[in-house]
Amino acid sequence: MSDSASMTTTPPITIEHTPGQLSLTLSGVLDLRTTPEVLDQLAHIHKPLPKLIRADLSAITGMDDCGALVIFQLRRMAEKHGCELELAGTPAHVRDLLAFLRVDDPPRSAGAKRPRPGIMTRFGMKTIQVWDQSGRHVSFVGEVTVTLLSLLRHPGRLRLGDTVLYMQRVGVDALPIVGLISFLLGLIMAFMSAVQLQQFGANIYVASLVALAMVRELGPIMTAILVAGRSGSAFAAEIGTMKVSEEVDALVTMGFRPAMFLVAPKIIASVLVVPLLAMYSNIFAIAGGLLIGVTTLDLTVNAYMAQTMSTLTIFDINWGLFKSAIFAVLISTVGCFKGYQVRGGAASVGKATTSAVVTGIFLVILVDSILAVILRYWRP
Amino acid sequence: MSQEAVISARGLTMGFGDLILMESLNFDIHSGEIFVILGGSGCGKSTLLKHLVGLYKPMAGKITIAGMVLDPDNDDSFKRILSRIGVMYQGGALFSSMTLGENVALPITEYSNLKGAAVEELVSLKLRQVGLEGFEHHLPEELSGGMKKRAAIARALALNPEILFLDEPSAGLDPISSAELDTLILRLNRTLGTTFVVVTHELSSIFTIAERVIMLDKETKSIIADGDPHELKNASDHPYVRQFFNRQPEMER
Ligand SMILES: Nc1ncnc2c1ncn2[C@@H]1O[C@H](COP(=O)(O)OP(=O)(O)OP(=O)(O)O)[C@@H](O)[C@H]1O
Ligand SMILES: [Mg+2]
Repeated sequence: MSDSASMTTTPPITIEHTPGQLSLTLSGVLDLRTTPEVLDQLAHIHKPLPKLIRADLSAITGMDDCGALVIFQLRRMAEKHGCELELAGTPAHVRDLLAFLRVDDPPRSAGAKRPRPGIMTRFGMKTIQVWDQSGRHVSFVGEVTVTLLSLLRHPGRLRLGDTVLYMQRVGVDALPIVGLISFLLGLIMAFMSAVQLQQFGANIYVASLVALAMVRELGPIMTAILVAGRSGSAFAAEIGTMKVSEEVDALVTMGFRPAMFLVAPKIIASVLVVPLLAMYSNIFAIAGGLLIGVTTLDLTVNAYMAQTMSTLTIFDINWGLFKSAIFAVLISTVGCFKGYQVRGGAASVGKATTSAVVTGIFLVILVDSILAVILRYWRP
Repeated sequence: MSQEAVISARGLTMGFGDLILMESLNFDIHSGEIFVILGGSGCGKSTLLKHLVGLYKPMAGKITIAGMVLDPDNDDSFKRILSRIGVMYQGGALFSSMTLGENVALPITEYSNLKGAAVEELVSLKLRQVGLEGFEHHLPEELSGGMKKRAAIARALALNPEILFLDEPSAGLDPISSAELDTLILRLNRTLGTTFVVVTHELSSIFTIAERVIMLDKETKSIIADGDPHELKNASDHPYVRQFFNRQPEMER
C-alpha cells in the first residue's frame, strides 16, 4: 500500500497562507517516504506566522510513527512563534496512533549526552586512567607470578594440551615468516656492510658483523617483534572476545582461575618456543649473509663460517636466548593483560589488540636497551 | 486481507555440510499475516530464518519473496528484497561501538531523507514503543539482556519494513514487557499491514499473536503441523504437537 502512495504525484501537504490564519491540509499516506518532504515544506513556510495554525488531517489515509513527526513539528512551530494550533478532522486511526505513541507525554530526557570533554578534562582522565591501569597491571602481574610459582609445586595443574597447542601457534606456525624475514635481513646487512668494508679490504668482517649483530641484538628483537604481531595480538583478541561473551565469567564461577586456565599456558608456551625461534632466526640470517659473502665478496663458505664461529662466543648465544625468553614473557603477559581489560564489544577488542602489539614492542625495545646498559657495565 | 503469498518456500532443504536439518519444506507466508515458526530447541528455526533472509544458501529448493526469487548473488533483486525486510537476531546483534540511539538511527539516516532533529525524534519514538525511551545514549554493554532484545526490535522496526523477521523476541523478557511486545506486534500488523515471521516458544504469546504456525520436527526433518494454533492445540493428530501446545512432558514409552 505504501507503494501506491509514493506513486501519487500530489504532495501530501497543501499550505495556504491567509492573513490571520495558516491553513494546512494533509492528505494521503504519511510514512517514511512522504514525511521528509512534508517536514521540509513546513520548515520553509514564510515567517512570521499568523496567530492561528489550522491543520486539516481528515484526508490522511495512513500514518505511521514517522508521520507523527509532522504533528511534533507543528507543535514546535506553534510553541516557538506563540501561535495557536488547531488539529481538525483527526481520523480515528490517527488519533489512535497518537495515543499509542503518547505524543502528549513530554519526551523523556535522553539522559546526559555522552560528554565530549575538553582538552584539560581529557588530559586529567587519561592521567587517572594510566594511574589506574598501572595499579591493575601490577595486580595482574602479581596474580600471574603467584600462579606460575604455584605451578612449580603442582606442575600437574598446567593445562598441558593447551600449552602444546600454543607452542605450535606461537612457534611452529611462525617458522616460515621468521625464516624469510631473517634471511632477507642477513642478506641486506651483508650487502650494505660489504660496500663499506670492501674499501678497506675487510671483506671477511662481513661475517663477523652479521653474526654478532644478529645473535646479540637483531635476532631476538626481530623475533620478538614478529611474535608480538602474530601472537601477542592473538592472545589479546582471544581473551578479549572471551571477556565480551562472558566466557571468562563462566570460568570464574566454575572454579577455574583464569590466570591458570588462560594465561599460564600462553606464557609458558611462549617462553619455551620464542628463544628457539630466535636461534632459528640467527641461522637464517647467517645463511643470508653467507649467500652475499659467497656470491659478491669472493669468500668461500669455509672461510665465512670459520670467521662466524670465531666471532661468536657461547656467552653471546646465551645472552641472546636469555633476552628472547624475557621478551616472550613481556609479549605474552601484555597480550593477556590487554585482553583482560576489554570491556564492552567488538571495538574494544580491536583496541586491545592494537594496544597489545604496540605496548609489547615498546616494552621489548625498552628492556633491550636496559639490558644493553647492564651488560656494558657488567662485562666491560 | 489479501491471500497472496509474500514469502514462499518450495522444496527447501537446508543444513550444514553433511548435517541435513530440514528436507523439502513447502510453505507460504501470506501478506499481512503473523506467522510463527515453532519447534524444539536445535531443530533449525534460526537456521530457517537465516535462509529466509538470504544469509544462508539452501541446499536445494528456492525461496520467493514478494514475487522475486531470493538470490543473494543477484545484487539488484536482493537489494530490493532487503529494502522490504527487517530482521532481529536471537542474540540482538547491536553494534557495540554505537549507542542505542545511533544503532536505531543508522538505517534511518541511510535509507530515508529525514534530517537531524527529525531523526532524533523518530529514534526516541521507536525506543518509546519498545519501552526504552531515555536510553538513547547508552551503549549496548550498559543494558540488560532483555533491554538489548527490545533495542534490537526497535532497530528492526526502524524503517517500518513490510516484513519483519523476529528470532525469539520475547525470550528473556518479563511477562509485562512480553505482553507489551505482543501488543506492538499486533498493532503494527493491524495498522501498517506488516507481515511478521516470528520464532518463539512462549505459548501465551503464540496464542495471542499467531494467525498461523508451522512446527518443525527434528526427527522427520519436516513440518509436522501447519495451521491455527487454537485448532492445533486440541485437534492435531500429532501427539507431539498437542503436547507442545498443552505444555505436557514427553510421554513415557
Ligand atoms: N553454523 C553452523 N554450522 C553447523 N551447524 C550449525 C550451525 N548453526 C547451527 N547449526 C546446527 O543446526 C541446528 C539448528 O540450529 P538453530 O540455531 O537453527 O536451532 P534453533 O531451532 O534456532 O534452536 P533454538 O530454539 O535453541 O534457538 C543445531 O543442531 C546446530 O547444531
Ligand atoms: Mg534459534
